[in-house]
Amino acid sequence: MLDHDNLARCALRRSEAPVAKRTTSPFLQFIAINSVGKTFAARTGSSISVLDCVDLTIAENEFVSFVGRSGCGKTTLLNIIAGLEDATQGQITIAGRPVTGPGQGQGVVFQQHALFPWLTAVDNVAFGFRKSGLNKTDRRQKAMDLLTLVGLEAAASKYPREMSGGMQQRVSIARALALDPQILLMDEPFGALDELTRIELQHELLRIWEAQRKTVVFVTHSINEALMLSDRIVLLAPNPGRIKRVFDVDLPRPRSRTEPRFNALYEEIWDELST
Amino acid sequence: MMRRFPQIAPPLIALAILLVAWELGVRYGFLKPYQFPPVSRIASGFVELSTIGFPTGVSIWSHTLTTLVRVLLGYVGALALAIPLGVVIGSFQVLDKLTAPLVVFCRSVATLSLLPLVIVWFGAGELTKVFLIGYGCFWVMLSNVIAGVRYVDPVLVRAARTFGLHGGELFRRVVLPAALPRIFAGARMALGVGFMVIVGAEMIGTIEGLGALIMEARTFYRSEITIIGMLIIGVIGFAISAGLTALERLLLPWAGNLDAVRR
Ligand SMILES: Nc1ncnc2c1ncn2[C@@H]1O[C@H](COP(=O)(O)OP(=O)(O)OP(=O)(O)O)[C@@H](O)[C@H]1O
Ligand SMILES: [Mg+2]
Repeated sequence: MLDHDNLARCALRRSEAPVAKRTTSPFLQFIAINSVGKTFAARTGSSISVLDCVDLTIAENEFVSFVGRSGCGKTTLLNIIAGLEDATQGQITIAGRPVTGPGQGQGVVFQQHALFPWLTAVDNVAFGFRKSGLNKTDRRQKAMDLLTLVGLEAAASKYPREMSGGMQQRVSIARALALDPQILLMDEPFGALDELTRIELQHELLRIWEAQRKTVVFVTHSINEALMLSDRIVLLAPNPGRIKRVFDVDLPRPRSRTEPRFNALYEEIWDELST
Repeated sequence: MMRRFPQIAPPLIALAILLVAWELGVRYGFLKPYQFPPVSRIASGFVELSTIGFPTGVSIWSHTLTTLVRVLLGYVGALALAIPLGVVIGSFQVLDKLTAPLVVFCRSVATLSLLPLVIVWFGAGELTKVFLIGYGCFWVMLSNVIAGVRYVDPVLVRAARTFGLHGGELFRRVVLPAALPRIFAGARMALGVGFMVIVGAEMIGTIEGLGALIMEARTFYRSEITIIGMLIIGVIGFAISAGLTALERLLLPWAGNLDAVRR
């Protein structure tokens, strides 16, 4: 759906307050978010604008993080990229094809625990192989491999209610990986983890991302985490949710928090976030 | 087991003291035996009921069996109708919106108030009793099935959609399993309703069944028989409910945290 008023309004907004240089190269436009807006019908009958004029392109194999205050629309934007919710304005394309629903290469790790309570850890992960054409034994075998990857092979036969929040989150990650998605959409995936596990999984995620060349869109509240992982950090501002600034993280990997450039970027993002 | 004993001992002792006081209270004339029949009366009444029967020839066991058959017929019939119907209504928002007022209304009508009308329809025979039990169970079950299917955690549906599930497969693999705990809860509630209705439904047009026994006992001032009937209904309800709980544990081992809301 092309809404010319919306496009013109957003173009004007961009020229007034540029957030980042725009690319026109199709290679760098693997995911193209074009003037996306989202309004929800409020209970009072009025409507609230949750996203407005979101313009962003994400290159293939890029690792992009969204940071921003609670309620600024990160989850909503991720859901729209996932094809789980429709944009009310604008459009998103993946590899040139408009997103019309899930199943265009997007795998999702949800913010809330979205494991199926009636399936054990291994069966939850095996659920991710449902459409892979593998038979049941192969699905379970591969699910076990993924559980091992996230360090949960010992908990394979536990039901979600028998696992801690962090364990459930790791199973969710394994389940999303089962889909072998081109695009991994992760909504605060490490939020419920202790520091040590979090750092281990950050490394694991980087390893998977580098080895399997996935495009990752990652939501986090931790500037440190975003700086450790991302190629670019997109800072969102609330009411209505919009992109405030995009930061290039031009640091070589593996990164260290003690580098001066790391800290300089941290300060810069912190300042922008808190004003 | 040993460690548990001290915990159940105090209530048992309290019960024993109460029963002895009751017995003595009746013997020394503080309580009227037809208002508060003592334990000894209840025990001898039970022996009489299981040998001679009351009315003569109808033993307590045949009363119990008759009641059980009626309840189960109505209950199973209600479940057999309510589950598929509830699944269909719950799957379509339009149907739910359309039927919601009717369901709430019918569920709220006190089942026994329909008794005169149902007698006009079906006479005072078996069908009336089974119908009344079925009616009570049906609406409770139906509203629970609808709610179970309708209010599945949306994040689970979203997760399943990212794995390419939709339509019938989404329903079978996600909506139905997610609704099962609620469906089981409905089945337990419906059973309770069935036993509430039965006594009233058996109070007319029959001499068989625990409800009839209780009413008949009243006519003859045999309060101890009323109490026996009441106790047996309680024990049966308790046993079936425990059976359902065990079945649920077996079929839904993942839903263990439902213990808290089980009652
Ligand atoms: N279904 C909905 N109906 C109405 N409002 C909604 C709905 N979903 C989200 N919102 C509103 O949209 C805004 C953005 O929500 P969203 O979940 O995207 O925020 P978020 O940035 O992910 O926050 P957090 O960091 O707390 O997860 C919030 O103000 C929220 O109240
Ligand atoms: Mg969120």
